Amino acid sequence: MAHEILAATNAVVTLDVALPGIVWPWFVTMNMWAKSIGTGIIFMLFILQRTHPESVKNMRLPVAIIAFVFINIFLLFTLADLHQPFRMWHIFVYSNWTSAIAIGSFMASGFLGLLTLLVFLAWKKNDAAYDKVLLWTTILAIPVTLYTAALMSQCTARELWQMPAESAQMILAATLSGSAFMILAGGSKLEYEAQKSMGVVLGLSALMAFIIYMSEYVFGPMKAEEVAAILEYIKGDGPYTVMFWLGQWITYLLPMLLVVLSRASKSVSILKLAAILALVGLFMVKHVWLSIPQLLPMS
Amino acid sequence: MQLGFLVDLHLCMGCKGCEIACKVENEVPLSTWRLRVKYVDVGTFPETKRTFTPLRCNHCENAPCERICPVQALHYLDNGIVNIDKERCIGCAGCVMACPYGAIYIDPQTQTADKCTFCAHRIASSMMPACVVACPVQANIFGDLDDATSNISKYIQTNQSDVQVRKPEKGTNPHHFYVGGGNVNLNPLASHRGEGHNLFGEIKNLPVGGHH
Repeated sequence: MAHEILAATNAVVTLDVALPGIVWPWFVTMNMWAKSIGTGIIFMLFILQRTHPESVKNMRLPVAIIAFVFINIFLLFTLADLHQPFRMWHIFVYSNWTSAIAIGSFMASGFLGLLTLLVFLAWKKNDAAYDKVLLWTTILAIPVTLYTAALMSQCTARELWQMPAESAQMILAATLSGSAFMILAGGSKLEYEAQKSMGVVLGLSALMAFIIYMSEYVFGPMKAEEVAAILEYIKGDGPYTVMFWLGQWITYLLPMLLVVLSRASKSVSILKLAAILALVGLFMVKHVWLSIPQLLPMS
Repeated sequence: MQLGFLVDLHLCMGCKGCEIACKVENEVPLSTWRLRVKYVDVGTFPETKRTFTPLRCNHCENAPCERICPVQALHYLDNGIVNIDKERCIGCAGCVMACPYGAIYIDPQTQTADKCTFCAHRIASSMMPACVVACPVQANIFGDLDDATSNISKYIQTNQSDVQVRKPEKGTNPHHFYVGGGNVNLNPLASHRGEGHNLFGEIKNLPVGGHH
């Protein structure tokens, strides 16, 4: 409605204060990217233990270490993004249970505790205990992956971020980056069949995530004028158009094609290239989606 | 008690007295504002007019900032004010992201969130908010929405066909009303905001909290 009357009213803001710039910068992108890898690789180990148990019997320690490192990167950037990082402990003392940030902080802390236990058990070569703990770690990894979507959805101001789409995108980012990292980290330890399975997860995650982005790109503007205005930043000469499409190609389209190619040619190298592209591109895709709603004037 | 605010835009003349009074009363740092008056010019020369819209926290009944704050730094007072405890705030900026009215900012001096509190400290001493006192034309009407005899309740009753809130579709139930407002005043998408829109400068955006 507002857009339609603009030509008639020729309304122009002639005096106002400068508005805030980007509130959540690339630190938050890094937060989401690292968390996707940290939880995603746990999902993949859980799947491979059921589909290719022999192939991943030597992957317990490497996976636990990778997840531990990336969850710590995620927590470090979360902390670094706070304007008062030394007050982080307030979250655990003055918790607001309606806040996804508070609930997520508890879950992420619990998840880190389980990952620490996994590293310890893998180091002690206690496989039976490791596998029991892995089950609970995998279950907890689901809400840990999803809570950022809940946080984005609690941002009433940012119409683009809707929980159904964002939760699906968070899970798909985890399966995409988890499978990609497993392909790269597995190396010779992971037999070809297991790598092929990871390739399928990578390709399907890319396909589904791409479909959701395109659905929002095409149909989002038909639902709300705010969404239409936000998506203008990735259309035409928009400031994020190039980064958006580069991200879609690098993260989704090229890896999908490369996964198909790798299966046809039985080439692990091509699969690894797909994995690298997906991991690099995911950062761009996440950054664009995080930034564009912040460009819209709220007042 | 449910305190609320109403601005009669027919009366506002854009003097910015409220803006300055707020700055002084609350020691709001440079480059940040709890309350500001936005000018929007409408029409094509010579058929033009200028609109003035004071913008401040809406003290919503269903406040997204209160919901998202992880440490309860943003909280409701018994009189309905959405207040902020700056000593507790961790500066996550979740509230800045959640507020659909752009009413919250990161104070560059304390590195914590801040916003209009309806001058809660003055209310506690039975005084009116600084902006209400400063307004030369009584365009700001403040009072108890639960009291049918209060000025604000009477004003809403008298002008009920012309009372609006900003972004009602967000479901926040603001306790800040406007009389005489239109799409141009209240909807940020209904006006152009080009580069160098500011009469007194070319700055369009400022860094949040003075860094990043």
